[in-house]
Amino acid sequence: MLRYDSTSSSAGSSSGSLSSSSSSSKPPQQDIDGLLAGAGYKVRSSELRQVAQRLERLETAMGNSPADFSQLASDAILYNPSDLACWVDSLLTEFAEPPPTCSSDFIVDPVNNQTVVNSAWTAAEPHTPQVHQNITYDEQQSLDNQLTVVTAMEEDSGIRLVHMLMTCAECVQSGDLSLATSLIDDMQGLLTHVNTVCGIGKVAGHFIDALSRRIFQGMGGGSVNGGSAFENEILYHHFYEACPYLKFAHFTANQAILEAFDGHDCVHVVDFNLMHGLQWPALIQALALRPGGPPLLRLTGIGPPSPDGRDSLREIGLRLAELARSVNVRFAFRGVAASRLEDVKPWMLQVNPKEAVAVNSIMQLHRLLGCEQTRNSPIDTVLSWIRGLNPKIMTVVEQEANHNQPGFLDRFTEALYYYSTMFDSLEACRIQPEKALAEIYIQREIGNVVSCEGSARVERHEPLAKWRRRLSGAGFRALRLGSNAFKQASMLLTLFSAEGYSVEENEGCLSLGWHSSPLIAASAWQAVPAWDNHMSSS
Amino acid sequence: MAGSNEVNLNECKMVVPLNTWVLISSFKLAYNLLRRPDGTFNRHLAEFLDRKVPANLNPVDGVFSFDVLIDRATGLLCRIYRPATAEEPEPNIVELEKPVVGDVVPVIIFFHGGSFAHSSANSAIYDTLCRRLVGICKAVVVSVNYRRAPENRYPCAYDDGWTAFKWVNSRSWLQSRKDSKVHIYLAGDSSGGNIAHHVAARAVESGIDVLGNILLNPMFGGQERTESEKRLDGKYFVTLRDRDWYWRAFLPEGENRDHPACNPFGPNGRSLEGIKFPKSLVVVAGLDLIQDWQLAYVEGLRKAGKEVKLLYMEQATIGFYLLPNNNHFHTVMDEISEFVSSDC
Repeated sequence: MLRYDSTSSSAGSSSGSLSSSSSSSKPPQQDIDGLLAGAGYKVRSSELRQVAQRLERLETAMGNSPADFSQLASDAILYNPSDLACWVDSLLTEFAEPPPTCSSDFIVDPVNNQTVVNSAWTAAEPHTPQVHQNITYDEQQSLDNQLTVVTAMEEDSGIRLVHMLMTCAECVQSGDLSLATSLIDDMQGLLTHVNTVCGIGKVAGHFIDALSRRIFQGMGGGSVNGGSAFENEILYHHFYEACPYLKFAHFTANQAILEAFDGHDCVHVVDFNLMHGLQWPALIQALALRPGGPPLLRLTGIGPPSPDGRDSLREIGLRLAELARSVNVRFAFRGVAASRLEDVKPWMLQVNPKEAVAVNSIMQLHRLLGCEQTRNSPIDTVLSWIRGLNPKIMTVVEQEANHNQPGFLDRFTEALYYYSTMFDSLEACRIQPEKALAEIYIQREIGNVVSCEGSARVERHEPLAKWRRRLSGAGFRALRLGSNAFKQASMLLTLFSAEGYSVEENEGCLSLGWHSSPLIAASAWQAVPAWDNHMSSS
Repeated sequence: MAGSNEVNLNECKMVVPLNTWVLISSFKLAYNLLRRPDGTFNRHLAEFLDRKVPANLNPVDGVFSFDVLIDRATGLLCRIYRPATAEEPEPNIVELEKPVVGDVVPVIIFFHGGSFAHSSANSAIYDTLCRRLVGICKAVVVSVNYRRAPENRYPCAYDDGWTAFKWVNSRSWLQSRKDSKVHIYLAGDSSGGNIAHHVAARAVESGIDVLGNILLNPMFGGQERTESEKRLDGKYFVTLRDRDWYWRAFLPEGENRDHPACNPFGPNGRSLEGIKFPKSLVVVAGLDLIQDWQLAYVEGLRKAGKEVKLLYMEQATIGFYLLPNNNHFHTVMDEISEFVSSDC
């Protein structure tokens, strides 16, 4: 949970952002040393002695050849540092046998491979500005000064606004619509006293709008996401440019997919939401550079049907094919047009049993969490057929938020603080119109979370902890993302983003956040072999 | 490393409980991986390995926490720990900065350790320690996420400490009812202890009162090699080589360990005579190789007529205060509690 102090700097904003996290202490598992658990390490009491012995061995080995040890640090890929026994072991094995030349690093050296990364994005979208305007120091200063100094009165108004938003949400939940309506009026008035260019004022405005829509359109759900698929793609693209969340998603997923495809000659990526195919040039490039040569790559991109007879999926496919040709990667594309992910049937994907399959879901699974928790709800159906494909890997990136709670007030509160944090992170973006359009993108999400219900409410975000349970229950096990993926993500941030973003590792999953609040989480999964699954080959 | 490996490993295993040994050894192992001989630091790997915990608005054992960005320009974050009260068992998310209730409410500004290079305010070990401090001192604890070396050398950590200090001092919601002032204590372990000293010095220079300093195994040093350094080098988790590395990483390039940041009462230091320096509680572990510097620090305070209580824990190693599984831990916590409450 993160709050901002508004009076300390001239460009300050007081956006109180927070995610009310659940208790940080999990119920003690049997035999896990409780004190070490408090320090973030899971070690069984019964294994303490063994772990100690291994630490000693490692230390002795280290003492004998210190030079090798610092090399080890650069080369070794470490996983899940919480599991002490495991990572000490992996260090011991690395130390005993030097690692094979690692073929699967995605961005080995940001300087040398910058061309790889840049041209990947250029290839995807010719009309995207390739170089962001560098703002000089002086321009930056005057920009900062243009943002109003937040006065004490504004800070007060900001706090009052938050109070009122909560009260209004409470009224909506309890059905007191007349009070809710008058609060809306008051809040609109208060907005004039608050800086709506940044901080709490900006995000409050969007929430007031969303509440308004909810109250005046009734519970049937508004047409907030009335934008066309084309519009949505544009907004998505600008959100991609303005802040690192989607780039992080793509990089992290690609790294995991690349590793999973190691040693396979026929690979097939199923992308649950192709959009402009922004994710794929980089993977194609990386496969092209694979030692031993690239595999045959098939990409199946799922996306909404285009209304005006254009086959936008095919157009993207053609562009990607062009890129693949230019780097000598044998490539085949297939578009699957579906308005909803649950309408897709596995046969449409034409998966060949001999190929290694990667299923890629960037912020799509939550859309399947319909309000009815019936046995064959869309999420269960889809997870079941994914499992049937026996993918080498399923990459899942989701918003790290709890926006699917049944109670409206709880949902509203969570969303208020989640999106405040996200908006605040967007302040760091200086390029237009990317920033403005990214804000609209986020605004639409807010609208859906707050003012829609039933099947119209598709933004049903759930936190990683819940997804872990759900996916484990559906027969998947987590593949751990390791220190190399972490390093890639950190380097990405240094290259492309402002200070303030942070990557964290949590039991094999990575999350990207603004300051200490995680906003998006990436994980990788594999189907647990089922004895009665006709299609599986172990 | 002085002495044979085997002997050293066995010795330190005899003085600490097994889980403490595993914890501190794994830190040592990890830290060895992170320090490069050329003076650079593997920050990515460091952040990957560091076990962090999020702030938690839901009170756990009566304490809740939240993070505040107090300086946008440097990205300076602090984690604030507050006791949940009987009237407000579940804090209202909108009212985190509700005024503290009490005639006298101590506010402890805490600087985590890590030899200026490691750890963060949200590291699990320090989150745990700060929560404990809230309980035993009935205080609000503000843990400062200062910038670290080698990317940010002296004086960044001190500047951040000072920024945090001024911020805390200017919060009306942290004022004690008795005199409408914020009752500030500075505390820290290892490099954090060093930072606490320097921030206190700056505070008194600026005429702002600090009620007390709590220094746990504070990190000090000097150019000379002291007897304890020679005797204990490599014996209890710490080597002279790594101490030297961290000073080289923190101090301005070209400076040696007699720089006043490292050696405040050394040849380039300054006496505190005549200055209204706060009372200090200094905890020294008897198996810490830099104890001679820590004891010299205490001597320096005494010579200048400053009130100081030394807690010399003979059989304690570094990090003994991280896990509540030894007597030193409980002794020190009691002393800290007393040190802070004697203000009332």
